[in-house]
Amino acid sequence: MIQLFHVSKYYDRRPALSNINLQIEKGEFVLLVGPSGAGKTTLLKLLFCAEHPDDGQILVQNRNVARLRPSDVPYLRRTMGIVFQDFRLLPKKNVFENVALPLMVQGASAFETRRKVTEALKAVGIEHRKESRPALLSAGEQQRVCIARAIVNGPIILLADEPTGNMDPDLAGEIMELFKMIHARGTTVMVATHNRQVVEQVGRRVVMLNEGKLVSDKGAGQ
Amino acid sequence: MRQIAYLVREAVTNIRINRTTTLIAVATTAFTLACFGVFLLLYLNLKGMARSLQDDIKAIVYLNDGLTAQGVSDLQSRIKADQEVASLSYVSKEQALADFRTQFPSESHLLQGLGENPLPASFVVTLSPKFRSSEAVRRWAERLRAVPGVAHVQYSREWIENLATVLGYIELAAVAVGTILSVASVTIIASTIRLTLYARRDEIEIMRLIGATGSFIKIPYLLEGAALGALGGALALMLLKSGFEFFKLQLGAPGRFLGIESGFGFFPARISLLMVLAGLLLGSAGSFVSLIEFKGAKP
Ligand SMILES: Nc1ncnc2c1ncn2[C@@H]1O[C@H](COP(=O)(O)OP(=O)(O)OP(=O)(O)O)[C@@H](O)[C@H]1O
Ligand SMILES: [Mg+2]
Repeated sequence: MIQLFHVSKYYDRRPALSNINLQIEKGEFVLLVGPSGAGKTTLLKLLFCAEHPDDGQILVQNRNVARLRPSDVPYLRRTMGIVFQDFRLLPKKNVFENVALPLMVQGASAFETRRKVTEALKAVGIEHRKESRPALLSAGEQQRVCIARAIVNGPIILLADEPTGNMDPDLAGEIMELFKMIHARGTTVMVATHNRQVVEQVGRRVVMLNEGKLVSDKGAGQ
Repeated sequence: MRQIAYLVREAVTNIRINRTTTLIAVATTAFTLACFGVFLLLYLNLKGMARSLQDDIKAIVYLNDGLTAQGVSDLQSRIKADQEVASLSYVSKEQALADFRTQFPSESHLLQGLGENPLPASFVVTLSPKFRSSEAVRRWAERLRAVPGVAHVQYSREWIENLATVLGYIELAAVAVGTILSVASVTIIASTIRLTLYARRDEIEIMRLIGATGSFIKIPYLLEGAALGALGGALALMLLKSGFEFFKLQLGAPGRFLGIESGFGFFPARISLLMVLAGLLLGSAGSFVSLIEFKGAKP
């Protein structure tokens, strides 16, 4: 599903990732951990083509993302749900519209959109705020909107960057349960986090990065 | 359907974000098209005028005094036989005098003291359309002048030729002014769109990240440019129309304008529509330019 071969990424000649080799099978649930600045976000960005590797090859769903034509990138992204570390919500649209956006750009019908958006908002427990603008929500609430948007389209791969960073332990636990549920439906899930509680709760494969290097990969194949 | 509604809404939002620059862009486009329109209006009207004047290019063949009725009749047949001549009518000395009196009543005293009627008889010749080139007319007049009984052949070709030259200049000026101003308005619209793109670059990036295609992202901006341009075109048309009416009013009574006010008109509907369309194209070109430069819209 996701394969990285000798992948390196430099920012201003400083390696953010160096020589990463990683294989993730379809249906796996992988936690990406490591201290701040380890390169977790960078790794995820490479997977959805927001950044391009300076070295090595990346296959996502057997497609070489480095060689993907720009016009194909949107179609790759439509198969993925992405929870951004900095949320990336549209400030001038309300919660419902924000979550509806991935469906909108694909031309889903109004009926389908309403059904799926309502379902996603219920799943993250934020349905009561659907008329609000993102700026009026707390950080934790915004994060949940972002998660709803990532799952609304039933993605094949879910990439979540620090999805519980602004939540209390109870809520973080709920969100991880939600991810487990999505995973149980066959979605490949990859979550970057430095929340120890999350790591313990999920107890799956844990890939650890440090200073851009892959330092450990535990529990693969479980 | 929903997508289209969404894209149109986005374009409207864009226009609202930069209200001032939008106004400037519309005004520039309007100015551009209005300037061009003035030339076009002038050109079309002069051209129409030239055509209607050419329709009755006349030559006047003055006759020697003292020709007999038979002589006049012979000469008439002789001239009529020329292939250059479409038709001709005879104006006798008496007729000429009467015409002079009615046309210039205040100057009729000039003829008073002369006793005898000084005006010559003449043929007014309408030339056949095929022989209206000045060269053909000149040769024909030359030949005719040698015919006994003909005193003088008068025809006015110079100013018709001048009109053609002026038309050529106007055409050239219209193209030059049109080109320069078009570039200006494309540039202004492009910078307007660039401002919107800049103001919304974060949103554009988000749209990208959730899988919007390039065209989905670009369409609102193209619509925005097209709308600004078309608005400019419509405004230009309104400016021209009011300017035209004002001008007409200033000219005063109908018929004063070289006596052919019937041919003096505003654009027909088709050209008005083309004007708005031209604005629309200029606007889209502006958006297009700014979108090409804009890096943020790339994945
Ligand atoms: N756009 C960028 N330009 C320059 N340097 C960058 C850029 N993005 C990331 N970096 C650098 O790359 C390194 C890895 O960053 P990254 O965001 O991947 O870390 P992270 O593991 O996600 O950290 P955190 O846990 O704080 O989110 C850091 O040293 C960071 O400063
Ligand atoms: Mg990060």
